[in-house]
Amino acid sequence: MDGTLATLWLLRILFLGLLYLFLFAVVRTLLRDLRSAARQPGTELGRLVVLESPAGDPPVGRVFPLDAVTTLGRGVNNTIAIEDSFASADHAVLTFRGRAWYVEDVGSTNGTYLNGGRIAGASQLGFGDELTVGQARFRLERGRS
Amino acid sequence: MAGLRQVSPGPVRPIGPGVVRVGVGLAVAFALLAAGAGYWQVFEAAPLTSRPDNPAAVAAARGAVRGRILDRSGTVLATSRRDGNGEPYRVYTDPAMSPVLGYASARFGTAGLERAFDTELIGLTRPDPVRELLKKFDPAPYDPQALQLSLSLELQRAAVAGLGSDPGAVVMLDPRTGEVLAMASTPTFDASAIADPATAQGAFASLQGDGRHPLLDRAVQGQYVPGSVFKIVTAIAGLGSGAITPSTTYPEQPAAEAKGLLVDGFRVQDGHHPSSGSRALDLVGATEVSCNIWYALTGLKVGGTQLAAWAARLGFGAPIPFDLPTSASQVTNGGGSFGGGFADAIELASASYGQGETLVTPLQMALVAAAIANRGVIMKPYLVTSFTGSSGSSRMVVPEAWRTVLTGEQAAAIATAMTRAVESRDGQAFTAGARVPGMQVAGKSGTAQLGGTGEPNSWFIGYAPADHPQVAIAVIVEHGGRGGERAAPLAGQLLRTFFSGLKP
Amino acid sequence: MIHPRPRWTESRLLVLAGLTLTVGWLSLREGARSRVGSAPDTLVDPTPLVVFLGCLVVVHLALVLAGRRTDQVLLPTMAILAGIGLLLMERLPQGLVQQSIAGRTLGLATMQMVWLGIAFAIVLGFAVFVRSDRWLRLYKYSWALAGIGLLLLVFVIGRDVNGARLVLQVGPVAGQPSEALKVILVVFLAGYLSENRDLLAGQSMSLGPLRLPPVPYLLPMAVMWAIALGIVVMQRDLGAALLFFAVFLLMLYVATARWSYVVLGMGLFVAGGALMYQLFDHVRTRVDIWINPFVDASGSGYQVVQALYAFGRGGILGTGLGAGLPMVGGRLPIPALHTDFPLAALGEELGLIGILAILGLYLVLVERGLRIAAASLDEFRALLATGLSLVIGVQALIIAAGNLKLVPLTGITLPFISYGGSSMLTNAVVVGLLLVLSDRGVEPPPPPGRARRGLAWLPGRRD
Repeated sequence: MDGTLATLWLLRILFLGLLYLFLFAVVRTLLRDLRSAARQPGTELGRLVVLESPAGDPPVGRVFPLDAVTTLGRGVNNTIAIEDSFASADHAVLTFRGRAWYVEDVGSTNGTYLNGGRIAGASQLGFGDELTVGQARFRLERGRS
Repeated sequence: MAGLRQVSPGPVRPIGPGVVRVGVGLAVAFALLAAGAGYWQVFEAAPLTSRPDNPAAVAAARGAVRGRILDRSGTVLATSRRDGNGEPYRVYTDPAMSPVLGYASARFGTAGLERAFDTELIGLTRPDPVRELLKKFDPAPYDPQALQLSLSLELQRAAVAGLGSDPGAVVMLDPRTGEVLAMASTPTFDASAIADPATAQGAFASLQGDGRHPLLDRAVQGQYVPGSVFKIVTAIAGLGSGAITPSTTYPEQPAAEAKGLLVDGFRVQDGHHPSSGSRALDLVGATEVSCNIWYALTGLKVGGTQLAAWAARLGFGAPIPFDLPTSASQVTNGGGSFGGGFADAIELASASYGQGETLVTPLQMALVAAAIANRGVIMKPYLVTSFTGSSGSSRMVVPEAWRTVLTGEQAAAIATAMTRAVESRDGQAFTAGARVPGMQVAGKSGTAQLGGTGEPNSWFIGYAPADHPQVAIAVIVEHGGRGGERAAPLAGQLLRTFFSGLKP
Repeated sequence: MIHPRPRWTESRLLVLAGLTLTVGWLSLREGARSRVGSAPDTLVDPTPLVVFLGCLVVVHLALVLAGRRTDQVLLPTMAILAGIGLLLMERLPQGLVQQSIAGRTLGLATMQMVWLGIAFAIVLGFAVFVRSDRWLRLYKYSWALAGIGLLLLVFVIGRDVNGARLVLQVGPVAGQPSEALKVILVVFLAGYLSENRDLLAGQSMSLGPLRLPPVPYLLPMAVMWAIALGIVVMQRDLGAALLFFAVFLLMLYVATARWSYVVLGMGLFVAGGALMYQLFDHVRTRVDIWINPFVDASGSGYQVVQALYAFGRGGILGTGLGAGLPMVGGRLPIPALHTDFPLAALGEELGLIGILAILGLYLVLVERGLRIAAASLDEFRALLATGLSLVIGVQALIIAAGNLKLVPLTGITLPFISYGGSSMLTNAVVVGLLLVLSDRGVEPPPPPGRARRGLAWLPGRRD
């Protein structure tokens, strides 16, 4: 095999090799992402603790881990179902937007209360604040990992 | 019971798992794509590149110095020379070989072996797989391979000379291996005239206009009425299917010699056989005197379906796998409802002695003789014995068995019949001239009536020596008269040439 | 505005990509030098590659300076695929495309670079300047109507190309609106599905053990989709029709997690396909040459056969960039190589190894997009990201499978690699949107529970 042919094939093999190097680098990044996501399985954005629940369901002391969007109400399709006749089927929604938590009343009969005051529209709440839906009272807490 | 329920919202399942499943599905789909790519780029790569319309092949052919073609003893049959512009062109040693070799011309493309092994002769593929894989790193893009053939130039020349100015064909092969020793077709043509750019145009035009079709390779593509040589096929079908045994006789046969045999209103005629008189003939006797009536009765006893089936086992009904394209032989045109495609008993009876709608190629009949010679096993016929690259690397072709049609015992019975057909006094009335001194020859002659006013085709098939066969032969001379007039003597002459050329 | 944040992963990957492409260009040039009797355009111009690498630097710097926290793998993967496409366009005869702009005639590679430049500008624009998805989320019906309107416009005043009316000519430039429609439809579907997914996952009728999907809620979606499909089929753009169909079904499945939609859809596809086979000659031809192209190897099956030959000639290692594709009568062996069959050309020149890498890169792109979907903060974004990833992934699948004779050939492009302005720009929009969706700093989604606009008249949940 002569010189020019050798350099030519060297370049071609090098090209293919680099292409695969790129592919492997990308795949390694993907795997690394997956592993770091899996390594924090219990990372919660926040948690809601049940302080008072006269109707009994959910039970007092129960802790709900929170996702970015959590719905509260009497209907069975809510993230947190509250078995309370004073709560509406769709009562309130708790969202984490960007950096802060917000609670919004979605048209309930008796209203939603934040730290005792009835909210209108979307209100921001912080860790330690208390939320009342129907007769049930909750507290927002920092998430644990 | 059907009911229109109020729309109730379904369970709000999280989106996550659905996304994951779609992701997995896509990954599987891409994996299938990868498998598809692997299929075309690895598995099918060589067959694709060998196809003649592949631009790689076309580009290669244009400037290629093709490999040489040699006969079995190493004599050059085809080689390349360069013309005034430095362009290579083909030169052929002897027109006797032309129908087999074909030609390779920049203008008129390829034919024959030149076409069948185009990729090897140009050298698009390497003879052995390792070099094939490494060929990318080889500065010379092509490695033209030389082909060595099993043909003997000497025998081929003798065959062409023997056929003379009559159109016809000769096929000689070794029944033990399938190697073809001679494959002549006349009229032949001058392939060099086509390959040489200076003379190509005129030569090709005149050949195409020639009414005798010199470009047709009659040995593999000529389809002829076989006449009595087909009786061997009927005998094979009879013994193989168990319809008859070697001692089967027909009580009505001796009487029918004089008046002919009535089959559904059609009279099967036969020459009166003075030697057999009123004796009922068996297999050997009927073959010796080439009795149409015995064979017609045997064919009717075997039945159309079985006759067609056994012929198919011999290779009828489909092209024979061979280094060159072949035409299929047939026992009938088909479409009839009498069993096996025959129209009625008359056609079946006629076909049994080689008339009717039967059409055979000389190669097919040579294989029939080879079947008996090789104890019922037909070896796959081939022409090319080895491929040799320019660096010396080579690949040999190995003989392989193709069909088993009879047991050794059954073949031996027919062998006896065919030996008597040449060696006995009665037989020699038909096959005089086919004998070879110092050994026994087995064979069968044929006189194929063509209807009309022309002379019948003269046929002979056989093999020698009868006890340990080394060569099988099929000869047909178009309009040559009776089998014993042209074909049998020519066969004998060629057999004698063959045996005298053998080294002790 | 300027808030620099390092993006090390992206930097590393871009450097690697740039190096790979440079080596590729070198091998192309060396090959051209050593070859005799090759295509007349053997001057392998470094300019397009240099401009390309420059674009990468500019986009990367812009993302770093603007401090965007977007996905760092999408841009390099898109870049290396686009770069391979550019190298391929450099290697082909430049005369395949002759575009006159401002009195000058630009060839194949130059035009590809022009489109790539605009594409990178689009990606930059989206990733740096788009901070909210409200404009997509809220106006979905408007988007859908605009898309249909665009298609109708092409149908009425468009230009015929090879018997299909696909192209809209504006001044010196021509484009294919069906490309833009892909993205518009995905945006609409994402919006509609995210709002109504629980209803769509429910049931409106029960026939014994069978639960049937709620037709009323399917209707607006199905109507939009059917119109789009119909127009596309009438324009004989079968590849786009297949793409719409597949993306629609898969998005529906992801939104509702109901297999019944997929099964129903596949049944419709088979039925529709059989019908089209009977009705339309060109469909029949395509399917026939898919089953056995060698029957008419020099006629209708020519393209497919030549593509297969190209793959075969490539083998495992390929012939090397620039060394394959033997000319037939002075022209390329495969017609429409730069638009419909770039994969065959790459298969011949880069071999099986190269093809596997390229397929892997597309898979990476798609999986990355799906990961963005899985990590999204709300359903609209998740569905949008899924749909966008599918647009690229399914399109690459369809055309690659067509090249390899695994499915009948369709006339769609290989994303980023094929030559084609509208395709390149549309895929740039897809990547741009995916980057926006992956940005952790983008305005968070609004809370759910708003009234269902436009569907209040349909029977809804009883409270």
